Amino acid sequence: MTAKLRAPGWYRAALFILLGLAFSYALVGVVRTLMHYPDAWSDGNAITTVSLIAIPLFFLVGLGCFDYWFYYAAGRPTRAEDHSSHGATSWKAYFRVNTDHKVIGIQYICVSFFFMFLGGLIAMLMRAELAQPGMQFVDSATFNGLFSVHAALLIFLFVIPVFAGIANYVLPLMIGAPDMAFPRLNALSFWMLPMAGLLLTASFFAPGGAFASGWTAYAPLSTDMPLGQVFFTIGVQFAGASSIATALNFLVTIITMRAPGMSFFRMPLLVWANFSTSLLVVIATPFVAASQFFVLLDRALGFNFFDAFVGSGKNGSVLMYQHVFWFYSHPAVYIMMLPGFGIVSEVLSVKARKPIFGYRMMAFSLLAIVALGFTVWAHHMFVSGMQAWIRVPMMITTAIIAVPTGIKIFSWLATLWRGVLHLDTPMLFALGFLTTFTLGGISGVMLSMIPFDIYVSDTYFIVAHIHYVLFGGSLFTIFAGIYYWFPKMTGRMYDERLGKIHFWCTFVFFNVTFAPMHLLGLDGMPRRVADYAEQYATLNLLVTIASFALGLSMLVFLYNMVASWRGGPRAAANPWRALTLEWQVSSPPPIFNFDAVPTVVGGPYEYGVPGAVHGIFQSPTEAKPTPAGSVATSPTRE
Amino acid sequence: MEAVSSTAGLHHAGEAEHHHGPPAAHRSSRVDPQLLGMLLFIISEIMVFGAFFTAYFFIRVVDGNPWPAEGTELPKLIAGVNTAILLSSSITLHWALEAIRRGNRAAFKAGMATTFLLGATFLFVQINEYVHIGFAPSNSAQASVFYGLTGLHGAHVALGLMILLMVTVRAFRGHFSPEEHRGVEVPGIYWHFVDVMWVIVYCTVYLL
Repeated sequence: MTAKLRAPGWYRAALFILLGLAFSYALVGVVRTLMHYPDAWSDGNAITTVSLIAIPLFFLVGLGCFDYWFYYAAGRPTRAEDHSSHGATSWKAYFRVNTDHKVIGIQYICVSFFFMFLGGLIAMLMRAELAQPGMQFVDSATFNGLFSVHAALLIFLFVIPVFAGIANYVLPLMIGAPDMAFPRLNALSFWMLPMAGLLLTASFFAPGGAFASGWTAYAPLSTDMPLGQVFFTIGVQFAGASSIATALNFLVTIITMRAPGMSFFRMPLLVWANFSTSLLVVIATPFVAASQFFVLLDRALGFNFFDAFVGSGKNGSVLMYQHVFWFYSHPAVYIMMLPGFGIVSEVLSVKARKPIFGYRMMAFSLLAIVALGFTVWAHHMFVSGMQAWIRVPMMITTAIIAVPTGIKIFSWLATLWRGVLHLDTPMLFALGFLTTFTLGGISGVMLSMIPFDIYVSDTYFIVAHIHYVLFGGSLFTIFAGIYYWFPKMTGRMYDERLGKIHFWCTFVFFNVTFAPMHLLGLDGMPRRVADYAEQYATLNLLVTIASFALGLSMLVFLYNMVASWRGGPRAAANPWRALTLEWQVSSPPPIFNFDAVPTVVGGPYEYGVPGAVHGIFQSPTEAKPTPAGSVATSPTRE
Repeated sequence: MEAVSSTAGLHHAGEAEHHHGPPAAHRSSRVDPQLLGMLLFIISEIMVFGAFFTAYFFIRVVDGNPWPAEGTELPKLIAGVNTAILLSSSITLHWALEAIRRGNRAAFKAGMATTFLLGATFLFVQINEYVHIGFAPSNSAQASVFYGLTGLHGAHVALGLMILLMVTVRAFRGHFSPEEHRGVEVPGIYWHFVDVMWVIVYCTVYLL
């Protein structure tokens, strides 16, 4: 038993959670005694706040995320590099700290899909409440908590990390690297994620209910909320730290570990997309961390960043929160979309059997979105009472950002032009994405116009827009990516028929759910309210019924994934006849990805070009420029 | 932080069926991965400070509040001396790095120890300043920003000191050599960043 408690793992993690609780209790008690505060040892709010920070950290230490660094820091000999924590031989490996990017990728994807289903169930509950006017299932305070947790879970625990998960699995393979640049940091950034998700979810059990200030947590609403708000404030810190660490890891991996011959303009667009996204994350995410630091300091240590009440004379600034928050959260919508652009570029090119149209413009438009993404944040604040002169410049930059996005849409359409389309599930989702995301993009340009934005601010038009770009945009690309790389990740084929059923149900019911919300918004139905006027009843009932059908169609996906992973037919190494490097190794790939690092001799999308080769498995010294008609040799493993 | 490639020595050619390590990753850039990672981390740190400076900007400039808040005073002189202490720690750290590059182990150890002590002195003076400054973060938004910015920097100094302590411990245990001193260089970059950031904080919060 002692040995189990000393070795890294779940036993030690449980022990450390208790230690963390004791530490928090003692720290709060001692500090409050020293400061001569009342009830020094029994202030539940203070103890909870400190525990929420300490317990996840203690848990990570107990699980063994930091062991190597502790040994290193103390100058003790580190454990021999036996790679015992690398790769998975049974399902148990997925519940340990593992340094294999393939294991971490699957850990990411499974955890974030867990939170997607949780967030989806919360949405079902909200739609049940909204099926009819009047109050049926929950009271208005609970409803506020429901939509806040729904948004926070799906943004911070699903869309952002699931893209990190897919890229974690695929990106090192695509660039011909044996792993990420910092495998242990990679493991740490994964394990922070379930912590963040548990914090957000656990807020329902806090006295006063879950945080109910929306996912934006505007101050001073968030500084006056009951204790549940702290769960959000601290949970976001962990999710943010996780995504910054992953982004840093991606950037270093992409810059320093590409295979010989893979210049920046021979990288697949998924790599470009994650390169751009990681730049956004490294630069922007610290701002959301800081905004939540401010809220935490205001709540816990009596700071006055946001006390703008004139009578109190504290001189706080409320607008400052919104500026800092949106300086992250506008780029965050591109963090949630650019990796999807990468996935769609892969799928469309492979499934249309054509080179991607305008490869360089696709790459440059990603970088243009990164740069422009930092200049548009105040378009979320047109009605906030900020300085009026900021509005028009922000309107113009917001309209301009549609240009690089439009370049991508037209390039994808041109890629499809006269292609030989293989309409299987990944392709259907990619095409569905083109439709719904274009609709969402158009309502986005409408919203960038100040007069229109003022008219529909805080109505269901906003809800419709965000779901068209996040559900119809990001989630469709996520499904496309999951189906596309499912054979590579699991070594099994998914059921094509169920996949198509899933797509058509999702596509139809998605539109029936969210398209009427545009009309509701234009009619003036306010968002984030549990009750509504009689005149909106018909459309709301339709939306609710469609949303339940949409929810049910996700069960088809879940069944397909679970059943195919357990008993699907074995997948070939390259079922899609794709050129990129991840398809040139076995499915699933060998433990260290490549027996020898491949050499890249051509572009990644030369479909339909006779004799085109992207990568060959010879050392750079042996590799010669390939004449037309040569065939890539793949390693013979198995 | 570690790179996969550092373990490549364990891979023996010809033992493919039970080889224990990945093939060496191809180095596609002259930049060292550890160095690049630290630089990216510093970029995100600069952005955290940027957010706190945004708070400063809104409360002092946009809202036009008096700085510091009426009836309070900031100890410019003591903080100035403290600035000198912190800046000199950068010099001693550079001296330590140059010493290990030349293989002068005694100077390396002396440099690391001096750097650590100077950093600790800075932190001590800073805490002492908090005790005697005469206002609390709850008094006004200006006070919140003051404690926020100097406290954020103080937290970075504390983190930097912990890393420097590790380097110092390893220095006294005989680690590092003229060939292998990345474990000094990369934390050193972080420490220099903390110093430069303090100069900016000192100029905007105390002097301006």
